Amino acid sequence: MSDHLVESYDKQLELINSNLVKMGGLVEQQVKDSLKALDDKDTEFAEEILKKDDKIDNLEKEIYALAYKIIAMRQPMANDLRTVVSALSIANDLERMGDHATNVAKRVANVKVSMPSQSISKIVQMGDDVQNMIKNVLDAFIKMSEKKAITVWDSDIDIDETYLSIYRELLQMMADNPETINGCAHLLTIAKNIERIGDYAQNIAEDIHFIVTGETLERKSDNAGQWEDLDIKT
Amino acid sequence: MENKVKVCVENLNVHYGEKQALFDVCMDINQNEITALIGPSGCGKSTFLRCLNRMNDVIDICKVEGSIKIDGQNIYDKDIQVEKLRERVGMVFQKPNPFPKSIFENVAYGPRIHGLAKDKTELEEIVHTSLKKAAIFDEVKDRLDETGTSLSGGQQQRLCIARAISVNPDVILMDEPCSALDPIATAKIEALMEDLKKEYTIIIVTHSMQQAARVSKKTGFFHLGNLIEVNDTETIFSTPANDKTLDYVTGRFG
Repeated sequence: MSDHLVESYDKQLELINSNLVKMGGLVEQQVKDSLKALDDKDTEFAEEILKKDDKIDNLEKEIYALAYKIIAMRQPMANDLRTVVSALSIANDLERMGDHATNVAKRVANVKVSMPSQSISKIVQMGDDVQNMIKNVLDAFIKMSEKKAITVWDSDIDIDETYLSIYRELLQMMADNPETINGCAHLLTIAKNIERIGDYAQNIAEDIHFIVTGETLERKSDNAGQWEDLDIKT
Repeated sequence: MENKVKVCVENLNVHYGEKQALFDVCMDINQNEITALIGPSGCGKSTFLRCLNRMNDVIDICKVEGSIKIDGQNIYDKDIQVEKLRERVGMVFQKPNPFPKSIFENVAYGPRIHGLAKDKTELEEIVHTSLKKAAIFDEVKDRLDETGTSLSGGQQQRLCIARAISVNPDVILMDEPCSALDPIATAKIEALMEDLKKEYTIIIVTHSMQQAARVSKKTGFFHLGNLIEVNDTETIFSTPANDKTLDYVTGRFG
């Protein structure tokens, strides 16, 4: 696609996109660090991570301000309009992802009870997959590739399955061994935080698809049935 | 539900001397809808509009080929009376151009020369109704004897619309009707168009894409004498099929 006749318009759109990529990079790092803190049970490192959330929040605000400015001053059309409107949604999703990662670090920093190591490593593994999703969705965004976006969207199904198996395992552990309830409950929340990050990456994949094609991404993901056998035997 | 096709243009080719201005244009225009024509200057959109009431006949070097059917009848057939055609297909221009006569006479002129009124009362009736339909009656009812040129630009343009509808046309052609008007007068004309489409088929040439997006149901994009794409206005401004259209509506054309 050729450039806009007005060069400053191109620059504003480039700035909005580069800010999103920058924000995505920070979120990726935040998730990575939180998982490392969890894996290493490193409370000091976890404390440091908490301080970094502000940077992500500030970038969100910058992107919002720029998007409003472009809409008010340029009246974007077609793919430009989709880029600007989707930027608002993507920035919001990235901010939520950052919050979830920060929540993981917060728990690592503050929880004193021991958490079962075997489940921690499973959660960290799921976290690695979520990190890949983030990396791939940012790549799809930079290349504006709806195909890559679809691949990312589909990969969330695996995360959801892993989450369910961790949920089941922790539930069983608590039923079998009530003194683990405290630690397991914290892990349940951590696992949920990581799983939600995957959901937001999936949202971003939908936005990319919309920017490129103008159509909403219609995919089926029905794991409702999987919840039926979650009741544990006591 | 789609409205019925009012104007059917097939393989329209227009030459001004050696220069070809339109290439094989085919387009269906629906009844009681507003259709917008957009495109950069010199793309052929005004030439196209002028073919629809044979305004190009007055240009000696202009040669029109192909067919334009209104209600199934080719308006370029030999037995078509051009005056009758222009009664059915009215036109509103870029710059408001009232006659240097009274407001009343501006609107009465058409019905009088076309013999549409039996007597003075009927003529008055037509003038009043036309001014009402053009949403200007309340502003001028006490000063019908004043000259049309004494009105503001926006009022003059609505007077010209009243003049166009006074002869009871089916189709109204508008060639950038708001380009000389301020935003308020523009909004009034746009509101009026919304109202008029219930009775008339409106085709508007506009350089304002926002205006095309606001008022029209369908939009056609012209470039270098070709009709590149015509579709629902929403599609043209969100997901056009052609890259040239996309470049134009997003401000990338160059």
